[in-house]
Amino acid sequence: MIENRPWLTFASHATLLTGIALVALPVWMALVASTHPASAFGVGHIPLWFGDAGAETWGTVLFEKAGNGVDTPVWFMMLNSLIMALGITFGKIAISLLSAYAIVFFRFPFRNLCFWIIFMTLMLPVEVRIVPTYEVVANLDLLNSYTGLTLPLIASATATFLFRQCFLSIPGELVEAARIDGAGPWRFFFDILLPLSRTNIAALFVILFIYGWNQYLWPLLITTDDAYYTLVMSIKRMLSVTDGDIAWNQIMATTLLAMLPPVAVVIGMQKLFVKGLVDSEK
Amino acid sequence: MTDVILEKVGKTYPNGYHAIPSVDLSIEEGEFIVLVGPSGCGKSTLLRMVAGLESISTGELRIRGERMNEKEPAERDIAMVFQNYALYPHMSVYDNMAYGLKNRGMAKKMIEEKVSDVAAMLGLTELLQRKPRQLSGGQRQRVAMGRAMVRDPKVFLFDEPLSNLDAKLRVQMRVEIRQLQRKLGTTTLYVTHDQVEAMTLADRLVVLNKGKAEQIGTPMDLYNKPATPFVAAFIGSPSMNLVDANLTEQGIHLSETLTLPLSHQHRGDIVWGIRPEHLEVSDERNADFALRIQAVESLGAETLIHGKIETEFGNGEPMVVRLSGPHLPEVNSLMWLTAPMSHWHLFDAKTQQRL
Ligand SMILES: Nc1ncnc2c1ncn2[C@@H]1O[C@H](COP(=O)(O)OP(=O)(O)O)[C@@H](O)[C@H]1O
Ligand SMILES: [Mg+2]
Repeated sequence: MIENRPWLTFASHATLLTGIALVALPVWMALVASTHPASAFGVGHIPLWFGDAGAETWGTVLFEKAGNGVDTPVWFMMLNSLIMALGITFGKIAISLLSAYAIVFFRFPFRNLCFWIIFMTLMLPVEVRIVPTYEVVANLDLLNSYTGLTLPLIASATATFLFRQCFLSIPGELVEAARIDGAGPWRFFFDILLPLSRTNIAALFVILFIYGWNQYLWPLLITTDDAYYTLVMSIKRMLSVTDGDIAWNQIMATTLLAMLPPVAVVIGMQKLFVKGLVDSEK
Repeated sequence: MTDVILEKVGKTYPNGYHAIPSVDLSIEEGEFIVLVGPSGCGKSTLLRMVAGLESISTGELRIRGERMNEKEPAERDIAMVFQNYALYPHMSVYDNMAYGLKNRGMAKKMIEEKVSDVAAMLGLTELLQRKPRQLSGGQRQRVAMGRAMVRDPKVFLFDEPLSNLDAKLRVQMRVEIRQLQRKLGTTTLYVTHDQVEAMTLADRLVVLNKGKAEQIGTPMDLYNKPATPFVAAFIGSPSMNLVDANLTEQGIHLSETLTLPLSHQHRGDIVWGIRPEHLEVSDERNADFALRIQAVESLGAETLIHGKIETEFGNGEPMVVRLSGPHLPEVNSLMWLTAPMSHWHLFDAKTQQRL
């Protein structure tokens, strides 16, 4: 639909700009707030322009301690979050690639049953099974560990389903050509299947990274040791200080920092992401 | 030397469908065999059994004397060209051709040599670094053939490789395939539903009908002496005129009032056939029968006349006449024809065998 009417262009741009402003406003306010000293919030109004305490707050939060009762610096928690998010993302992608591979390309008894069982776990996200999962993780002695943070979140019906659809769209002739060319199951997987699912993997990577990064309830439950605190759950802990005033400037700086990695991933992988969602080059 | 032997090879699909009852075929080294038949007759099934992509339910397949039934496709030393080419979309033309060799553990140097040789032969040298999606249909077809050729296999298998090309390119590729096969001398099994393709390519043809080999022979054998009405109708274009008739001591009764004199020891229901190109125009006195013309197709070099045999009770069996050069008879007029006896084909109606 290509139309050339100036007022229409104007209207659509105005709508988009309004939308952007609405979305960006809270981010803007957080950014401004992080540049004022903590005392600026006591009076009850929110400053709308930058203050002069920005560098100090950001430096402290990032490299010394996040404040509000959280003594670890943000960079360290970021590292933890990153390990957890990447662990979950790569784990999910690897496991669902393999299970989709088995379901689509191998004939074994109860194949369809297996698929439906995997599919049904869609109804059981961590939040639903949190008590038994905690029990299992505790019994395995995995509390306060990276394994405990990532492993229970790795199984993914959604990703399995996505890869299954992707694999099903690969023409049978291609599989047969590979067989004639002497590609065994592993060669076929690595030489043909993985490259053909490249864009799907990238799209999934973005979605899963954000999912993993934003995990809140699970890390809150199983980590009690500062060394494993993740960034997103720490923000909540920073808000729940009981003694004294909340240092909003530090919280805002931390929040903005917590937003950066997902934004970076989305921007960095935008092209592949869109490609993976809309087209397939098969 | 006999290269490929199919001995009572049969196929029953897991769902119980009996696609091929039993086929016997022995292929000489370097021979070009075409499997031809209407869609769904089991051509692909038979080819895929030779390739090892479908299991063989009954019988035995031997290549160079060695039993192949249990071998994986890669171990059979065959190469296959698919209808949709099945090129690996993410690999360059070079990698597509090299992939099979790499998997066999061939040295890099050697792969390079082989691929560039074959690429030169097929005129693909300029395209080696392109991806399949950057190629035209004909070029993809060529790459698919190149991929088969670099392997230097004992047997080439083709499954309707030209059916996705436009008519002109199809003719060109057909000639090219035939030349290449002659040059390489590789035993070839080629599947098509197009009888013109089959006739022009084959050393020998196998006409399949519902999974049965109706006739195996050279193109001219099949044209001159079709073994069954099915083969008679399938080979040749337009196809042979076939009329249900009755054979008595007076001759062949095409209808109650129309008899072609013939002395033959067979009696009973038969199918009488004559090819459109063998009917001759004559005058009323010498004619065997008259045709009521219904349609005329002028193709310039030849004219096809469709009509029905004129009998006293109105129109009889439909018949096509093929005349060379332009003719413009009027629709609904009568055309007198003779059917030279030397071109008759007689089949037993019950057994469907040639008499
Ligand atoms: N995997 C299958 N399972 C059951 N029936 C099949 C299968 N593949 C093909 N058939 C049937 O076998 C018959 C022959 O198929 P095919 O060999 O593909 O025919 P064609 O001569 O057109 O290549 C067809 O009737 C088809 O429906
Ligand atoms: Mg077929």
